[in-house]
Amino acid sequence: MSTGTTATVEQNQVSSAGVSLWSDAYRRFKKNKLGVVCFFIICGYVAIALLTWLGLLGADFSVNGPDSYAAPSSSHWFGTDIFGRDVFARGLHGTRIALSIGLATSFIAIPIGVTLGAIAGYFGGLVDDFIVWFYNVVESIPDILKIIALGYAMGRGISTVYISIGLTTWVSLCKLIRTEFMKHKRRDYVQSAMAIGASHKRRMFLHILPNVFHIILVNLSVRFITAIKMEVVLSYLGLGVEPGQPSWGIMIDDAKLEMARGVWWGLTCASIFMFFLILAFTLFNDALREALDPKLRNK
Amino acid sequence: MLAYVARRLLYLIPVIFGVTILTFVLFNVVGGDPVYQKMGKHGSEAEIKILRHELGLDRPLPEQYLFYLKQCVTFNFGRSWATNQNITDMLTAGIGPSMSLSIPAFFITIVLSILLSILIVFFRNGLMDKLLQVFCIAGTCISVLVYVILGQYFFAYKWGMFPISGYDSGWDSRWQFLALPMIIWVAVSIGYEVLLYRSAILEEVFQDYVRTARAKGLTEKVVLLKHVLKNSLTPIITSIMMEVPLLITGALVLEAFFGIPGLGGMIYQAVANSDFPVIKAMTFIGSVLFVLANLASDLLVSLVDPRVEFN
Amino acid sequence: MLKIWFLVLALITSITITSCTKKEDKEYDHFVHYPIKANIKGIDPIHSSDLYSSTVMAQIYSALMQYNYLKRPTTVEPLDADGMPKISKDQKTYTFKIKKGIMFHDNPCFKATNGKGREVTAEDYIYSWKRVADPKSVSDGFWVFEGKIKGFKQWQEEASKAGKTDYSKPVPGLEAVDSYTLKITLEKPYPQLLYVLTMNQSSPVAKECVEHYGPEYQNNPVGSGPYKFKSWVRNSKIILEKNPNYRQETYPTTGEPTDAANGLLADAGKKLPLNEGVIFTEVVEDQPRYLNFRKGVFDIAEIPKDNFDTTVKNDELVPELASQGIRLGKYIDDDVTFESFNQDDPIVGGAKAKHLRQALSLVIDPQELITKFYNGRAVPAHGPIPPSISGYDPSLKNPYKGPNLEKAKALLKKAGYPDGKGLPELQYETYAGSTGRQIVEYFQQRAALIGVKIKITVNTWPEFLSKQKKRRAQMFGMAWSADYPDAENFLQLFYGPNGSPGPNNSNYNNPEFNKLYDKAAVMQDGPARNAIYRKMVDLVVEDAPWIFNIHRKQYVLTHGWFKNYKRNMMILNHIKYYTVDSALKEQLKKKL
Repeated sequence: MSTGTTATVEQNQVSSAGVSLWSDAYRRFKKNKLGVVCFFIICGYVAIALLTWLGLLGADFSVNGPDSYAAPSSSHWFGTDIFGRDVFARGLHGTRIALSIGLATSFIAIPIGVTLGAIAGYFGGLVDDFIVWFYNVVESIPDILKIIALGYAMGRGISTVYISIGLTTWVSLCKLIRTEFMKHKRRDYVQSAMAIGASHKRRMFLHILPNVFHIILVNLSVRFITAIKMEVVLSYLGLGVEPGQPSWGIMIDDAKLEMARGVWWGLTCASIFMFFLILAFTLFNDALREALDPKLRNK
Repeated sequence: MLAYVARRLLYLIPVIFGVTILTFVLFNVVGGDPVYQKMGKHGSEAEIKILRHELGLDRPLPEQYLFYLKQCVTFNFGRSWATNQNITDMLTAGIGPSMSLSIPAFFITIVLSILLSILIVFFRNGLMDKLLQVFCIAGTCISVLVYVILGQYFFAYKWGMFPISGYDSGWDSRWQFLALPMIIWVAVSIGYEVLLYRSAILEEVFQDYVRTARAKGLTEKVVLLKHVLKNSLTPIITSIMMEVPLLITGALVLEAFFGIPGLGGMIYQAVANSDFPVIKAMTFIGSVLFVLANLASDLLVSLVDPRVEFN
Repeated sequence: MLKIWFLVLALITSITITSCTKKEDKEYDHFVHYPIKANIKGIDPIHSSDLYSSTVMAQIYSALMQYNYLKRPTTVEPLDADGMPKISKDQKTYTFKIKKGIMFHDNPCFKATNGKGREVTAEDYIYSWKRVADPKSVSDGFWVFEGKIKGFKQWQEEASKAGKTDYSKPVPGLEAVDSYTLKITLEKPYPQLLYVLTMNQSSPVAKECVEHYGPEYQNNPVGSGPYKFKSWVRNSKIILEKNPNYRQETYPTTGEPTDAANGLLADAGKKLPLNEGVIFTEVVEDQPRYLNFRKGVFDIAEIPKDNFDTTVKNDELVPELASQGIRLGKYIDDDVTFESFNQDDPIVGGAKAKHLRQALSLVIDPQELITKFYNGRAVPAHGPIPPSISGYDPSLKNPYKGPNLEKAKALLKKAGYPDGKGLPELQYETYAGSTGRQIVEYFQQRAALIGVKIKITVNTWPEFLSKQKKRRAQMFGMAWSADYPDAENFLQLFYGPNGSPGPNNSNYNNPEFNKLYDKAAVMQDGPARNAIYRKMVDLVVEDAPWIFNIHRKQYVLTHGWFKNYKRNMMILNHIKYYTVDSALKEQLKKKL
């Protein structure tokens, strides 16, 4: 029994093998200047995250200064917070937390989504029915409730944020992978692999997976956007990372009160950091899709 | 078609059943403990025992699950642990204010964003497109708190255009209170929606039939409005229908700041109080609506796109 | 296409226009408009542990005793009792006379009288208190009677065992001698009895009404107080109107020396309530509550922390607000904020970790805490007892009050952790909320100065409570507000047998303290008892199961048209004293 998604129209198929797909995509991507720029912006963020992690950048993020709520100036580009700490340094450190959430949740969600999707799409039948049923159930419960419940079970802290977001966001990827596997398993190359006696596991992960890898890649950059935004919501609910950690979500949540006293810089700083990262991811994602997605290739 | 609908409706049963099991496990087995809060700041071991007994928490888990299942089937969810209210009454009281805010706001957002996204696609290669896109992304990055705090301060307090907060259940008098949160809703969500619709429409723009249509000498306006929009309706409808179940819950932050007695605030309270009967009832209803919306969107898609078949 | 545009535009403009033509509700001109900070849970005296629900209840229900509105320190006086009770020599029997002619509000549930409220009798009190004890009520208020009134605890236990509560079964300690005489017999002397008889859980409810409404009684309260319940939109607002049949009660004629100058005696001797009713509006967020006050929608507001700097300068109201007729009142609240150490914990608990706790107490700079997080609206706490509570000793100087990092380091060394070496990361539990989170962060930073690492966990409120009550929290921060004006209410938080899940969540258990507590518990107020209290305070200061932070002050703004406001956290039935000058209101509102 098929459910959830109706059959969409089959697109003109690309039967070229993996290698040319990737070099093709690379060529296409390189042509998209905006996409390349965004890629470098993301690299910049990664560099910031690494440097703050190593303590080479914004090392004064937790050093209390004499003035609380000092306005932006040449020494503090985005002013200071209640403890007199430099807001800009905290914004830099927020990058580290935002990217780590994106990365850690991907490490949890992608293996689950890919494995379940692959199994369901490849084997079909009862296994498929069961997995479809399972993700329908998981999907039906609002994300925020799942995260809260998992929080109860695991206690609070950043690892809970990783795991709970990871465990709730694998469904969309699972659906995509399942559909792709259903398509691919009927293709000639899989059939011939079967003929030479490749095992199921081999066929699934060595033959089909590379052909659907672009889906995972596109999903990955969307996932970062979702995770970054979710962290903000969790912080508002008081379920975010632990206090003292400079996360954008906590900076934005603090602004709820601080705005009344005219302190706009904490919020602005976090929003700007978030904006450029999300902008970069969105445009990069567009470029990536255009380069990889067969649907958009005819452009 | 009818057989298809019937089959899909039947499929509701195992899914909802799964939902009840999962919510039960999440909240009754691993969830927090409400007893201490209910007891107040004074309390004793003996009282806790009595309290547990009265709340049915000392019964074996399978029995508790069956009780919950029965509640779902009869649509009688018992009483809230935090406020002792009848949950069905809470839901019926909260749904009105929530939907009074969410439905008009949602409708305005959708209409505006479809128009805007067509506009963007129309200028798709120019600077205009990129600028609007950047603008929309910026919109999704600004916290709703900013809109609320500035909106309340300037529009309501400084310029006196709206009441600052509050609600009146009268059919006429509620709108003055809902106007500002509605505007904020639109402002907050429009960026996201426009981006979504833009990419849906763009995917169609590059299809062969569009090229054919252009080749036939149709103007860009006709191509976009007549052909492209019609075909990109499928993903748009799907995304709209997926948001419909969220409409009953309104908007958590907006309701809290504007004092609108809707379901959003109720969920927030229930979460803050570990009020599991309420959370479980909301989860159940939310998931039923989700599955129904899923079905409705498939049916709607089949109406606009005859190529889609039922299987 | 254009058509849709016009439609949308028309919709938006029409909404804007309707919203501009605000309908002024003349009907509620003489009403008090009172904001409430949290959502009200229910209006039933059996559930009165949260301040906000209790505030609403206290206007509808009445009680045997009340606190004098103006006198400080707070003194208890008869409300529905006809004079003070007769107390037996052994202080174990209290005989109350109940005033005649006190009627319940008219309500359809009084079927026998065709909806007219009937008279309140001694039997009603006994029924209402049994209802608090009834296991089926799952009340949070039974602690005021439990173990105090003779045989009441057994009565509850038997009802619990039977699975069905038999209200006809007598409680040995409660007797209605006649309709207007209530005799209470105690297990042992209970000097706080008169205080708890001011509280909501001791208010009389009518059996007919409870039975008529069943579980919906909390939404249809029927009391005998100055206000009648009119309507309630959950999570929005509650409207109470003046009870036309309210018995003769008048505004007090004497108070503190400063009251006359503050205009608080202008209405002396006038019949209460002094206004037509009250609208309680539930506003959970700070900004809308404050802005609504500034617009004149509410009569009164506390100043949110982050609006303080624009409202008060040099401890005075800024001229802009003063010129609008707004007035500022400053009151000290009867509470204490503290960090608590679980004494059952192997690292921070027990006598051997005493120096560690003292060291952590010494790192905190109370003055910095007060300026940073309370805008100066607090005083440092040297012990658990707030200044306005009987038993407070101003001469108490806590030797472990910071900031004194040198001494803290020395003590830490003495505790066996020189510069924090060998001490594992301490686990600090707190609950969600921006300001609370920042205060904990402050503590974390201060502790780091002497090398003590603290990990903070943010919990939801129920999680936070259950960690405490299950003795799983190592450290946590909280505040305690007085239930009644007796230091015993604070000292019981250190009494061994009150350990978790009771109110003593530090699980402090010192036999010497317990002995003193037992001794003081049956003594009446006076110098002898205060001397014992001081000894007990000295013990907890030395053992430091808590870090005593501050006692909060509250700065309250009221509009010029709103009069007779005087704050005290324990006086809940205050609405009846307020007046609203609607002519002045119209005039002043133009300036806002």
